[in-house]
Amino acid sequence: MGTFLRFEVLRLVRNLRYVGITVGFPVVFYVLFLHNERPDAPIAGTTWNAYFMVSMASFGAMVSSLNAGGTRLAAERASGWARQLRITPLPGWSYASTKIASSMLIALPVISLVELAGLVVGGVHLQPGTWVLLTGVLWVSALPFATLGVLVGFVASSETAYPLVTALMFLLSFFGGLFTPVRYLPAALRRVAAFLPSYHHASIGWAVVAGRVPALADADALLVYALALALAVAWRHRVEESRAFV
Amino acid sequence: MSTFGGPTPPGPADGEPALRFCGVVHRYRTLVALDHLDLEVARGETVALLGPNGAGKSTAISILLGLQCPQEGWVSVLGTDPRTVMASGRVGAMLQTGGGSGLPHGVKVGELVAMTSRLYRRPAPVERTLQRAGLAQLADRHTQRLSGGQSQRVRFALAIAGDPELVFLDEPTVAMDVEGRRSFWAMMRGFAGEGRTVVFATHHLDEADAVADRIVVMRKGAVVANGAASAIKAAVPARRVRFVAADVDPARLRELDGVDAACVRGTEVVLDTLDADATVRALVGSGVPFSDIEVTGADLEQAFVALTSDLTDALTVDDAVDPLPRTRRGSVP
Repeated sequence: MGTFLRFEVLRLVRNLRYVGITVGFPVVFYVLFLHNERPDAPIAGTTWNAYFMVSMASFGAMVSSLNAGGTRLAAERASGWARQLRITPLPGWSYASTKIASSMLIALPVISLVELAGLVVGGVHLQPGTWVLLTGVLWVSALPFATLGVLVGFVASSETAYPLVTALMFLLSFFGGLFTPVRYLPAALRRVAAFLPSYHHASIGWAVVAGRVPALADADALLVYALALALAVAWRHRVEESRAFV
Repeated sequence: MSTFGGPTPPGPADGEPALRFCGVVHRYRTLVALDHLDLEVARGETVALLGPNGAGKSTAISILLGLQCPQEGWVSVLGTDPRTVMASGRVGAMLQTGGGSGLPHGVKVGELVAMTSRLYRRPAPVERTLQRAGLAQLADRHTQRLSGGQSQRVRFALAIAGDPELVFLDEPTVAMDVEGRRSFWAMMRGFAGEGRTVVFATHHLDEADAVADRIVVMRKGAVVANGAASAIKAAVPARRVRFVAADVDPARLRELDGVDAACVRGTEVVLDTLDADATVRALVGSGVPFSDIEVTGADLEQAFVALTSDLTDALTVDDAVDPLPRTRRGSVP
């Protein structure tokens, strides 16, 4: 299992297109849109530069997971590689769980790089302990994204995976308030945000940079998402295993 | 001994055949893929599974690999049930990929084979696997830069990476050119020669003839012939009657007893028949002036067509030791 995880992470890191999208998008967006507001404009108990840094770290964790799980897993199912693995002694559950684990491993440097951009370009000043705490909570709470990516990979075909991932990325980040803070969205859309993991994920980070204790409701929502998505992955995996393959 | 999807199979695990099907039935909705399939392969044998599309070859292989459970009957592989034996890593397989390469991208061939090897408890050394599959020169090549034939060889390497006792190959040379097929089978024979059991499905009759110790012909989910290629050829009543005659009407020849197909090229006439005796008698009786008559046995392709054609429902050949009563073409309504 460790062997397979190392193999998966190696393949992800080597894929330049993947690394470009995953690391490039959130960092470039941070730098581009930082000056949509004054960096020191107050927002939600913190300043815009720190607030938007959290938004983009959240976006990065989501993008890396959806691309690692969704697009690539769907392609592997189509190519026959997923089936080849099934006839090795690798336990059946470890294919999906390794995919989730490798998405999580990639999410950590992505979050860190956006934070680095916040520090260097955005001039964000936090206590060392707050940096560590922020990185930790953003990372751990990215689990629903990693699971969602793998679910997309199991549900979509190799043709539909890419558009589906793109649509999810757009919907979750826009309606979750990652580009435009939720408070500036129309009232109807603000209610939608409360149902999205992207909003709850970023909310935890926004609380940390504002020096507040994250709301239990955010953690609960993410936990429910992670569990529900993991169950859905397990169910799709069973369907796949029992499917006639000739 | 554990069982798989049915009543307890008899016999001890030691000295068990490499694989055994007993009365296996498998349906996909209304389509019967396997119809009371009985089949046994001894350890160390190389067996070819032949049959038209839909004969049940791939279903049989997927059941042996534990990817599907038989709905009736039971299956044992290396003396135990398929799922247990797959988890133990004693079986390798090369499956059909439906057009995909079957390989992950973003890795070198050597890395892929090394990773796969580490999934097994007692793998063959990676160098040895690469060498067996003819990949020693390609170890540093990225998987997305391989030709079709090279990809197939990598998939063969993955199938044997765990040093398996038993290997299944489902149409391993599909989409390979002649030279690729030749070198693939040379490689395979070397591997089988080490005392391993190899079962492969193919559409290429010449491959089955040249490589396998034994050929199993399947049709509509059951075995219709089982034996050495030469025995199957001899046991199938299909014969070829050649003679020289001027101005004959092929339509009239086709009406002669037992004739399956008639071909006239200038003065040379070739009749494929399922009953050479009756055909020759009818030919004499027809008054056609002929000379240089010659009756030859069927080649494997002719035998295969005879065995799997819808016109020969009752025709079976088992081990060819005791050929079953021949079905006369004329007796089929």
